[in-house]
Amino acid sequence: MNLVPPALLASLDLPAILDDLPIGMAVLDREGRVLTVNTALERLTGFTREQARGVPCRHVVRSGLCQCSCPAEEPQDTDIVNRLRRRIPVRISAIPVRDVSGQELFRLDLVEDLSAIRDLERRLEEPGAIGKLVGKSRAMERILRLLPAMAQSAAPVLVVGETGTGKDAVAEAIHKLSPRSREPFVRVDCGPMSPESLDAALFGRGQTGGEISAGAFQRARGGTVYLSDVGELPDALQARLLKFLDEGTMTVAPEGAPTPSHVRLIASSPSEPEELVRANRLHQDLASRLSAVRLHLPPLRERREDIEFLLNHFLGFFSAKFRKNITGFTPKARLLLLAHDYPGNVRELRNLVEYAVMVCPRTSIPPECLPAHLLNHLAVPGGGT
Amino acid sequence: MRKKRVFIPLYKDEVAPRFDLAAEVLIADVSFEEGGVVSENILLSQPSVNNLCDLALQKEVDVVICGGIEEQYYHFLRWKRMEVLDNVAGRALSVLDRFSQGTLKAGDILFSTEAVHAR
Repeated sequence: MNLVPPALLASLDLPAILDDLPIGMAVLDREGRVLTVNTALERLTGFTREQARGVPCRHVVRSGLCQCSCPAEEPQDTDIVNRLRRRIPVRISAIPVRDVSGQELFRLDLVEDLSAIRDLERRLEEPGAIGKLVGKSRAMERILRLLPAMAQSAAPVLVVGETGTGKDAVAEAIHKLSPRSREPFVRVDCGPMSPESLDAALFGRGQTGGEISAGAFQRARGGTVYLSDVGELPDALQARLLKFLDEGTMTVAPEGAPTPSHVRLIASSPSEPEELVRANRLHQDLASRLSAVRLHLPPLRERREDIEFLLNHFLGFFSAKFRKNITGFTPKARLLLLAHDYPGNVRELRNLVEYAVMVCPRTSIPPECLPAHLLNHLAVPGGGT
Repeated sequence: MRKKRVFIPLYKDEVAPRFDLAAEVLIADVSFEEGGVVSENILLSQPSVNNLCDLALQKEVDVVICGGIEEQYYHFLRWKRMEVLDNVAGRALSVLDRFSQGTLKAGDILFSTEAVHAR
């Protein structure tokens, strides 16, 4: 016996009731068709409630349980593939809604996004890596240990290292490990750009109608601004940056009032700040401020024990990316790769492995599949396996 | 004669909600001028997204019609010059019928939504 009149059910504004819930929820009829979904589930699945209405829930939620153990009697961890083609880890619970006689009227499916938790777990468990930064040498292990502590501070960080050592990856890792990780990470290359364009790219620019064209500091909101190659910054902008570091305020050109900014600054340079100051490329005051926390990334030739680890790491990465069954390097190719001095550091090694995996038709990469310039440089006789 | 080979991962008689979880595939040769459809069903020993991609390649498929598919597999199939109509929901035969009329689009939902009363 159905005690709830259909007219009353039809009059319920379920979306309004459910929209305030922070987790995804679908209301299903007894046949498992969607009656409505809340906004959290709309965001998660990419289906609007209008698109989802009347559709069997397996075509909306699209979880790993839909084709085997639906409805889940206990909360279960699985994943969904949403309309934007993203796989998202979720926890799904099904709650039957019954009338007083015990007859099932609806079913509520609760879909909880576990992305943030899984991301955190992965970061904690991943050996020898934080984000894109990987390494097993003592020097890199020390850096990987330091990063989480650096991330908790709001002090500026200066990352120093040769080209290709992973300065951008360090900056991104610090941001991702920090309490600001949900806010934007904005990268500005201080390289060849006119001072006016760079000023606008950093601090924004006032428009004639009073509006502000946002620069990196506005776009980052409470996140991180990363200045790559800070030694290239023009004098006037160095002074403005120093003012921001001293007072925590910034002004928008041409005549804006100082406004507080809570971004964290990370800068990088291929040279030590003392060298930049000696060469008159960096103000002493700014160098001292930026160097509050300094991280030196050693070149690959100074941590040769990382080379084999990185070769295997990138081999696995590119084999999966190109869907190839390549399990290693032939002994001769491995010796050649280990003997190279990698002036372009990790970036060069990565590019080299990417090329080799792309062109290799076998399960082990032989010397012939390595780039010609490397073979010429190392003067391989014959180039056989 | 314009003919296309269509690949539809199945769940029972529907387009599988997820490409990676389908253990059965409908492969059909659709002839637009003659309106004819010749099809075969292939059962896989277990769901495997890599096996599905390999099967689509091996069968020289022109169009993949599927439900949810992950970005990397979508781009892989596109890279292999297949057209991918994803986020399609409905019974496989209705979907195939719509396709043979030349009106099927990615994102089409062909289930009837009558008799659903909540707002």
